[in-house]
Amino acid sequence: MIELIAHNMAPIIFASLVLFLLIGYPVSFSLAANGLIFFVIGVWLAPYSNGEITLDWPLLGTMPQRLWGIISNETLLAIPFFTFMGIILERSGMAEDLLDTIGQLFGPIRGGLAFAVILVGELLAATTGVVAASVIAMGLISLPIMLRYGYDRRTATGVIAASGTLAQIIPPSLVLIVLADQLGRSVGDMYKGALFPGLILTGMYLGYVCMVAIFQPHKVPALPPEARTLGGGVTSLLVMLAIGVALSYGAHLWLYESWGANADILGATVGTIVVYFYALADRYLGLNLLSRLAQQVIMVLIPPLALIFLVLGTIFIGLATPTEGGAMGAVGAMVLAFSKGRFKFPVLQSALIATTRLSAFVMFVLIGARMFSLTFYGVNGHVWVEELLTGVPGGQMGFLLVVNLIIFVLGFFIDFFEIAFILVPLLIAPAQNLGIDLIWLGVIIGVNLQTSFLTPPFGFALFYLRSVAAKVPYLDKVTGKKMDGIKTGEIYKGAIPFIIIQVAMIIAVVFFPQMVMRYKGAVVDPSSIEIKVPTLQTLAPGGTTLGAPTLGAPNLGTPDASGGTVAPTLPGPKLGAPVINP
Amino acid sequence: MQAMLAITRGIDRVNAFIGKAVIWLILLAVLVSAGNALSRKLFNLSSNAWLELQWYLFGAAFMGAAAYTLQQNEHIRIDVFYASRSRKTQHWIDLLGHIFFLLPFVVLMSWLLWPYTIQAFRSGQISTNAGGLIIWPARAILLAGFIMLTFQALAEIVKKIAVIRGELEDPHPFISAQEQALKEVEELAAEVQAKAAAEGKK
Repeated sequence: MIELIAHNMAPIIFASLVLFLLIGYPVSFSLAANGLIFFVIGVWLAPYSNGEITLDWPLLGTMPQRLWGIISNETLLAIPFFTFMGIILERSGMAEDLLDTIGQLFGPIRGGLAFAVILVGELLAATTGVVAASVIAMGLISLPIMLRYGYDRRTATGVIAASGTLAQIIPPSLVLIVLADQLGRSVGDMYKGALFPGLILTGMYLGYVCMVAIFQPHKVPALPPEARTLGGGVTSLLVMLAIGVALSYGAHLWLYESWGANADILGATVGTIVVYFYALADRYLGLNLLSRLAQQVIMVLIPPLALIFLVLGTIFIGLATPTEGGAMGAVGAMVLAFSKGRFKFPVLQSALIATTRLSAFVMFVLIGARMFSLTFYGVNGHVWVEELLTGVPGGQMGFLLVVNLIIFVLGFFIDFFEIAFILVPLLIAPAQNLGIDLIWLGVIIGVNLQTSFLTPPFGFALFYLRSVAAKVPYLDKVTGKKMDGIKTGEIYKGAIPFIIIQVAMIIAVVFFPQMVMRYKGAVVDPSSIEIKVPTLQTLAPGGTTLGAPTLGAPNLGTPDASGGTVAPTLPGPKLGAPVINP
Repeated sequence: MQAMLAITRGIDRVNAFIGKAVIWLILLAVLVSAGNALSRKLFNLSSNAWLELQWYLFGAAFMGAAAYTLQQNEHIRIDVFYASRSRKTQHWIDLLGHIFFLLPFVVLMSWLLWPYTIQAFRSGQISTNAGGLIIWPARAILLAGFIMLTFQALAEIVKKIAVIRGELEDPHPFISAQEQALKEVEELAAEVQAKAAAEGKK
């Protein structure tokens, strides 16, 4: 009996962990306790296990070293930095300004408000990264306008909830930071990997609204001209856009010599800054060459774009680490809030309190997870999970299917932090065995976890929207008409098309890893290069020169059988034909 | 019991004071980190001491706030089962959890971290990074965090028993994740509407 238990420690620990967590005692300490209790049992059972259990008391003494690993982890600093930045921006009123202005810009076209919501959702996602903030702002500002002008209720609520969840997948999302850390990859790579799927997902949302606008136009009507209080004047906006693009291109050409491939981002920065300062001058110096709409759009849109550049731009072109990017973004957010007169002491204090609270519980879930993993790995639990997951029929696809199903179901009940800290580390070994790129896996998990924000009844985006949408009939402020409240069922049904889009996106990322693998860019990964030097192998006397090609140095000095003529060509095949195995 | 409750109030006060004070270390960490990035790019200056300082500060913030977070009942739970229980059952879950889950872990960690810190202090060990900081303060932060948690765990046990026996009012009623979110939503919504009202007047 004891031997039976000793051989099945891993499944027993896992099952009891589920039980421990479900009781409802704080996750961090339940995890730690589970690890500790089974550590003691494991040490006692170790003699009966034929060496399967490798726990002993000195191993427990490594816990301080593990805690040290957590506290000295610089990547995790990005968590408080981006959280703080998001909260400050949330309080700066940026979301409200964007929704007002972009809504007016797109309002007069069919489906325009829905497009505006999606685009603003994406902008907010790339800056604040907080689902709650986006959904609340949209639910309060855009939803009443959409209902006033006869938008279909389900379409309106669905668009808002879904656009809010973009914050989870578009960098600088916390999910991606935590996933990158747990998968042992760089956050910058995870951001690059998630960028295209995030943008494509936004495109799919836009495409869906476009289809609705074409085939069911009554669901997403255009706004009447009187709803545009800023007046018309798209022409001058287009002119400014053209000037901006021209300037950016010019600056790009000018900067290309000194900055190389990064010149496009820098060129765009130059163009943007010029346009922004012209719009400011136009308004405050009374030049008034631009229409009010154009002024407003430029002035509202550019600060968040600048912030996105400050954070993501510097990370992508390698000027800053994600941690530094987060810190600079946080400083930028404070400056932005200050310039809007919304950076006051209570705002700063409450943002810091919320950030500290989140940090404390997240870091302690991680500490608990380290105690748990010490025991779980000590009973070879990771081997058990690995065998379980690599034993799934269907290789890579079977593995990804099972992992996605597990995470999808878990996402209904538990927070992504727990999934990331407990489950994700266990996926590394089986994924690598199957030749799955960990960034690819991370992005798939990211999109999957994003979906969990949309699925009734626990999806948080739906919940946030429910709490700000009118429950009872109300009188519209502008038209004075009586409007019905939004039913919870309408919100749930509205989410369905977007859940389908999400699932389609997960499948797309699984089948088209190229959109993630772009993160590797031109950087050559030595582990995935096949070195083809057929001529050399036949010519080389013995094994001495075989090692040389991997060093990449033209091996001129060695007494080669073929002389110096072959050697200089060695670096050619290595760098020129990097065969990247996804 | 009253004497013990008086002691718990003392523990609560100390941990609350520290928990509220450390929030400023986050701001400091933000500024230090942004400063590091700028000085490296603009003046080509980089110092390992400053790089290490940012996580010393963050470490002090989350370790220092952990006990207060426990006191405020804000460590995250999976509340599918818990939320549907009566408050009395929840008290028992908490009490047993404090005694059997929390206390052994934090006591053990304090006990293990003590020699770990003392050894670094005696040897005056310095970070392996060139020009890095001295190591023991960061270890002391870990140790202090777990000692604070140990005291807070004891205080929570005493308070829980008093609450169950009806001698103390429930200091931190359980708030489910959804209720917590709702609270935040209301705060934000009030802010947005206040802003809209202010603009309407203009």
